[in-house]
Amino acid sequence: MSEQKTLLGDVRVLDLADQKGVYCTKLLADLGADVIKIEKPGGDPMRHIGPFFHDEPDPEKSLYWFQFNTSKRGITLNLDNADGREILKRLVKTADVIVETFPPGHLDEMGLGYSVLKEINPRLILTSITPFGQTGPYRDFNASDLIAQAMGGLMYLAGFPEDPPHKLHGSQAYHSASVQATLGTEIALYVRELTGRGQQVDVSMQESVLISLETAMQHYDLRKEIRRREYREAPITPGIGLYRCKDGYIFSYIAGGLAGAGWDVILDWLDSEGMVADLRGPEYEDVFALMGDIQKMIRMAETDLEALMAVVGKWGHINEVISAFMMKHTKQELYDGAAKRRLMQVPVQSPKDLLESTQLEALGYFVDVEHPELGTTLKYPGAPCYLISKTPWRISRRPPLIGEHNSEIYEKELGLSREQLAVLKQEGAI
Amino acid sequence: MEEKKLPLEGIRVCDFSWYAAAPVATKCLADFGAEVIKMEYSAHPDLIRIAMPQAPGKEGDLGAGGWFNNENSSKLCLGLNLTHPRAKEIYDKLILASDIVVENFSPAVKERMGLNYEDYVKLKPDIIWVDQPMQGLIGPYKYTPGFGAIITPLGGLSHLSGFPHRPPVGTGTNYTDYVINPGHLAIAVIAALRYRKLTGQGQQIVMAQLGSAVSVLETAILDYTVNNRTPPRTGNRIPYAAPHGCYRCKGEDRDCVYYNMYSVPHEIPGRKDDRWCVIAVFSDEEWEAFCDVISNPPWTRDRKFSTLLGRKENEDELDSLVQEWTIQRSPEEVTMLMQQAGVSAGVVQDAEDILVHDPQLRARGYYVYLDHSVTGHSAYDGIAFKLSETPGKLTRPAPRIGEHSEYVCKEILGMAEKEINDYLVEGVLEVG
Repeated sequence: MSEQKTLLGDVRVLDLADQKGVYCTKLLADLGADVIKIEKPGGDPMRHIGPFFHDEPDPEKSLYWFQFNTSKRGITLNLDNADGREILKRLVKTADVIVETFPPGHLDEMGLGYSVLKEINPRLILTSITPFGQTGPYRDFNASDLIAQAMGGLMYLAGFPEDPPHKLHGSQAYHSASVQATLGTEIALYVRELTGRGQQVDVSMQESVLISLETAMQHYDLRKEIRRREYREAPITPGIGLYRCKDGYIFSYIAGGLAGAGWDVILDWLDSEGMVADLRGPEYEDVFALMGDIQKMIRMAETDLEALMAVVGKWGHINEVISAFMMKHTKQELYDGAAKRRLMQVPVQSPKDLLESTQLEALGYFVDVEHPELGTTLKYPGAPCYLISKTPWRISRRPPLIGEHNSEIYEKELGLSREQLAVLKQEGAI
Repeated sequence: MEEKKLPLEGIRVCDFSWYAAAPVATKCLADFGAEVIKMEYSAHPDLIRIAMPQAPGKEGDLGAGGWFNNENSSKLCLGLNLTHPRAKEIYDKLILASDIVVENFSPAVKERMGLNYEDYVKLKPDIIWVDQPMQGLIGPYKYTPGFGAIITPLGGLSHLSGFPHRPPVGTGTNYTDYVINPGHLAIAVIAALRYRKLTGQGQQIVMAQLGSAVSVLETAILDYTVNNRTPPRTGNRIPYAAPHGCYRCKGEDRDCVYYNMYSVPHEIPGRKDDRWCVIAVFSDEEWEAFCDVISNPPWTRDRKFSTLLGRKENEDELDSLVQEWTIQRSPEEVTMLMQQAGVSAGVVQDAEDILVHDPQLRARGYYVYLDHSVTGHSAYDGIAFKLSETPGKLTRPAPRIGEHSEYVCKEILGMAEKEINDYLVEGVLEVG
């Protein structure tokens, strides 16, 4: 055991997950688990999701497949076939975890429910990710990422009040459900070291995003207020929000010294370029003083709303002055100027900006993965934690080709003969 | 029935973290039984204690904040003034009495406090040490201040979210603070804890919140590195489904109060008329089912809508036709009609819908109500994964500052009464 060079190197995972859980098994695989991706004969439907390598639609060139299947091995297996199900049961003997995303009850219908599987291997952990969980009145509802982001309340908070709510980019309900499922699976693995027994992990995509509502739930619980999407084209509170600049957008959070430097620093900066206008005048002193004191602002809202609104009335002009300053500069200038002054202000970065980021470069964040079949090396996003000192979080191999490890697993591990494999292939089991 | 032991009982966490991204990770450890000890002082509280929302009539009380409370269930609090020069005498002892140390300070503060793994590992070789700075402990921007709010724009999520003709407005919250960054962190910590159980070895874990956030951009990075393409913002659309969007529905005939975080006054009386649904149609079968649900109006037979390619090419027109139907119905009615026909659909739920009305969340008991000395009987996010045998438990509401000082000082650190009193008088310790 002391030889183990990864966190989960002793764990084998059978991956029966679709889009809802494919990030869970990637996380486990990049942490060292031996994840065997089980695809339908002919290839997993995720291989049809673009974009594609050089825009060539081909199941071996899906960037979606690449993104989510690093460090895994892959076999083809048809669970609709009786021999296919028997082979799965044989694989279960040496597995620690199954991650699956079938509709609730589907495994039972196939004769592969947890009661059957744990007879074969009592140490097995069965992690199930579904839109709404294994129980409750919505358990049989259909839902993709969009539906879970809506039902989980994320969408209601995102966007401009005059637009429809929008989803967060990048299938965040799938990502969140996969992160929660990975946590649940790891806790079950930890418990297994104490008890010797596996258990079931039930993950609802809807529940997975709920804590991301930040304060919306508590606003209703404590005060019966409904928090809603509210950003405007320009910030309302000066220094907090999105500003247009010369070549894009810059996001400021200059909360009067609450975190990072305060207003005196930004006024000095404006002043140094002759752009502070009249903001140093006495009529703005109370405004800047109040912006550093949230508690006072909350008290004034309760006790002296009129005085508070008089201050708020001056915000518009402050924003005009700041906006003019931002428009004179590029986002990199504004970022570097802010970093130097310890102001919280960052550029809205595109993928291109991220690839050119000297910070991510210093972390060694992006990693090159060889794809010999494509005759090239592709640059992937790397580990969420850039340092785990003894057991690094890393991509160990490129994603598998269709049925790439059939021979390795069926012949060498399970000891199936060439003749048996031929029969299985002809009946569509593998 | 005998109370089951929680899985992480016996694991102690010395928790320097504040704000959100790391505290949510230590909440997970605490809800599974770890003894998580926060350190705060009334004059230097965790600053999200003072943010809104606050329990009505209790505004300004450091225990009244719903944001803080929600993230700190099941934890203990040692009233320790970390800015006092003598605080180190106490936190050094606590570190050495712990299994895990978590900090998410700016590297500048961490350096000033002497919170270096290299020093403590010599004294306690199997310690699991966790740093979670914004951008890393190394690199040119390591000292740039920040919290969750800046990671969404800096990490690429804002650029990619929202509508194509609109500015990159982002996610509406400090999104990565709640699942993505604390989740990735806790995944590393729990695996490291298991690894220590198997091998006896501890180690250091460092997350740059920036890197963790870039990990969840789906294919945006590969599309750029492979195809040199930055996709435009696509709102609610995806390439392989249509309709796939958010549609206005009929409002409810009643008053409500809205809350705006960044404008003053924050509370805006309104009508509960900001109602929306989402619908997602992937296959031809689902399209046929969708058409049946909306009673097959003539436009659905138009050839331009009969294939996915056609629907994608005419998506603006399609979406406005769909909305003509949804706007006459409540989002709940749309959802039930679509789901009965096997079409993916849902309500764009607000917090009231979620906390009070959603029958699914009630049936599963997601939210947990705990009695807090300041906010009373109040709701907490529960655990978003159900373990059949060891489900975890929110064992107590968020702590008051210094609520557990006496326990920590006496039982864990073995301090004598007089020693504690001296620290109290000097303003190092506080009992709450």
